[in-house]
Amino acid sequence: MEALVGWWDDFFWGSKVVAEVFISSLGLTILFGLIGAAAKLSNSNIAKKFAGAYTVIFRGTPEILVILLFYFGLALALTSIAQVFDPDVKFIDIPPFWSGTIAISIIVGSYATETFRGAFLGVNSGSVEAAHALGLNKFQTFIYIRIPEMWRIALPPFGNHMLSLVKDTALISVIGLNETLFVAKQAITVTGKPFTMYIVVGAIYLGFSSVITLTVMGLEKFGERTTVISK
Amino acid sequence: MNINFSLIIESLPEMLMGFGITLKLLFVSGFLGLILAITLLLMRLSGKFYLDWPAQVYIYVFRGTPILVQIFIIYYGLPQFDTIRESIFWPILREPTGCAILALTLNTGAYVSEILRGGVLAVDRGLLEAASALGMSARHKFIYITTPIATRIALPAYSNDVVSLLKSTALASTITITDMTGIARTIVSETYAPYEIFISLAIVYMICTFGIQKLFGFFEKILSRYTIREA
Amino acid sequence: MNNSENHPLIKMSIVNKYFGSFQALKNITMEVFKGEKIVICGPSGSGKSTLIRCLNRLESHNDGQIFIDGNELTDNTKDINAVRREVGMVFQSFNLFPHMTVLRNLLIAQRLVRKTSKEEAIKIAMQYLDRVKIPEQANKYPIQLSGGQQQRVAIARALCMKPKIILFDEPTSALDPEMINEVLDVMIDLAKDGMTMICVTHEMGFARSVADRVIFMDEGEIVEEAEPAVFFETPRSERTKAFLDQILTH
Repeated sequence: MEALVGWWDDFFWGSKVVAEVFISSLGLTILFGLIGAAAKLSNSNIAKKFAGAYTVIFRGTPEILVILLFYFGLALALTSIAQVFDPDVKFIDIPPFWSGTIAISIIVGSYATETFRGAFLGVNSGSVEAAHALGLNKFQTFIYIRIPEMWRIALPPFGNHMLSLVKDTALISVIGLNETLFVAKQAITVTGKPFTMYIVVGAIYLGFSSVITLTVMGLEKFGERTTVISK
Repeated sequence: MNINFSLIIESLPEMLMGFGITLKLLFVSGFLGLILAITLLLMRLSGKFYLDWPAQVYIYVFRGTPILVQIFIIYYGLPQFDTIRESIFWPILREPTGCAILALTLNTGAYVSEILRGGVLAVDRGLLEAASALGMSARHKFIYITTPIATRIALPAYSNDVVSLLKSTALASTITITDMTGIARTIVSETYAPYEIFISLAIVYMICTFGIQKLFGFFEKILSRYTIREA
Repeated sequence: MNNSENHPLIKMSIVNKYFGSFQALKNITMEVFKGEKIVICGPSGSGKSTLIRCLNRLESHNDGQIFIDGNELTDNTKDINAVRREVGMVFQSFNLFPHMTVLRNLLIAQRLVRKTSKEEAIKIAMQYLDRVKIPEQANKYPIQLSGGQQQRVAIARALCMKPKIILFDEPTSALDPEMINEVLDVMIDLAKDGMTMICVTHEMGFARSVADRVIFMDEGEIVEEAEPAVFFETPRSERTKAFLDQILTH
């Protein structure tokens, strides 16, 4: 336990990084998920094919591989592009924060695509028909009828996606992101106590998971206030 | 951008040499994990709090922490303790493969037990009442009614978890195991060609995922014979 | 285990049942003798299903006593299983085991509970499938049968256990109108053969022609109990009259 003295600060900053990655990737994930779902539900065959490829590729590839590919690959791509403009450019580095965040957002976004698609299909068609019969236009129906029902259906599985986002953050340590696992590795070289340090990392992630799970439960309760008859 | 096809053709056989290890990790962890999952399920269904609560805590911890952290705790962390190094398990725990299998088993066991529990809860209560009314004992009901129906219901979610397990085997590369991903990373560090190597590796994983999904689709079809109206 | 003419097959004595703070059964006292056909009717929530579900311990009563064929129904598992062997039940939603063929549905309890041999069990099963007039469906799965056929299989399944009493919990309520009669015909047939039956139903025509007694329940109590002729023509209670008005005018 004494080994941890002096490292709490670093673990704290590492945790802050985890939280930052989570917030950033959450927005991107929702964005990718909605775009993917829209593409799959649209009438355009091309959009469906692209979205189909998107889900197949990123649900079938190990996350660590995607992260490595984005990190090395993006840097290379951007460097080549930059060299077209300025031949003196040696190497453009992408901070692991962004390549990692974008990578996990794209991955979990492919799962979110399926979740959102299922949720939109699960909206009661009777409600939509009634809305149209009352004269609401497509946009109004979308905002006032489809979205409220859809997010309630999507919430439980999307809660799992959020847990995946948090846990995938640990993978980004492999490309050098200084979150908690990365901090632990440094602490181990100094203190020689791998078990202690990794348990702390586990506990920190468990904490994040618990907060997310409780938040989702709270949101589910909020959603039920107006849709479930209370006993 | 020119793609170095000759590099791909040279590297693929090398990476595929790791396929055996990938499969070994998948099958052994999958099998042991299933046994663990059934044990946890029975503990949760037993109704006895001293079995139910420990199972719940176990599942909570293993689903709430990143699998990479679990792998590191077992491989790097356990050797911190003399008792581990002197125990009969040391020959297994000393080897990265043994540690990877242990970590993957413990992790998938937690997820699969929840999937199985979902299947059990989804069995129509009326069927169990009819069985009770006929005088069948709790044991009879569980074997002849609950298990067949719950298995069919849980199969899609289980196949998703097998795919996740396949993807998690790639993390074994972080503890020096020469599975497909491990070999790929070595090649990339020597050739600086992340696109060619990682993308071709991703395609290999996608083919495996496709194979798993097709296989389970076949099982689902067999188990669902009785849900289709046409003879 | 007296089964002489004077001993009731079912005896409920001041039975009360609560779901949390809600009282579903209030001081229920009634008797059923061998060979009697009882119809229980009443508005939803009156406790009719709860009453018969207490008879095979699908629900457990909080106060009072229930005797089936002289055996008291308690928490004791041996008692419960002994009762369930003699008391058959037919459910509103049929509850046929979907992953088993019709034949297997009829065999499984015989084999596991009565420990009948396979040949004997098949003989009994085909005999009762014949009785409900669908022997050719033996190897089909429930989903391939119509609702009326499924319910007839469910009745055969209960009969295979050779019970002393059969409980029917709204057996025709989930059926399309054109299939109700095929099920009622089977039930009338059973009644003629002397089976002791307790039937929760809205089918008043069936009650009039088959029942020995009709029991009207409301809000957990037995309000009125009489022979069909008396019950339908000259009901004594206002509540009974109100209920009959509602249900008989449509």
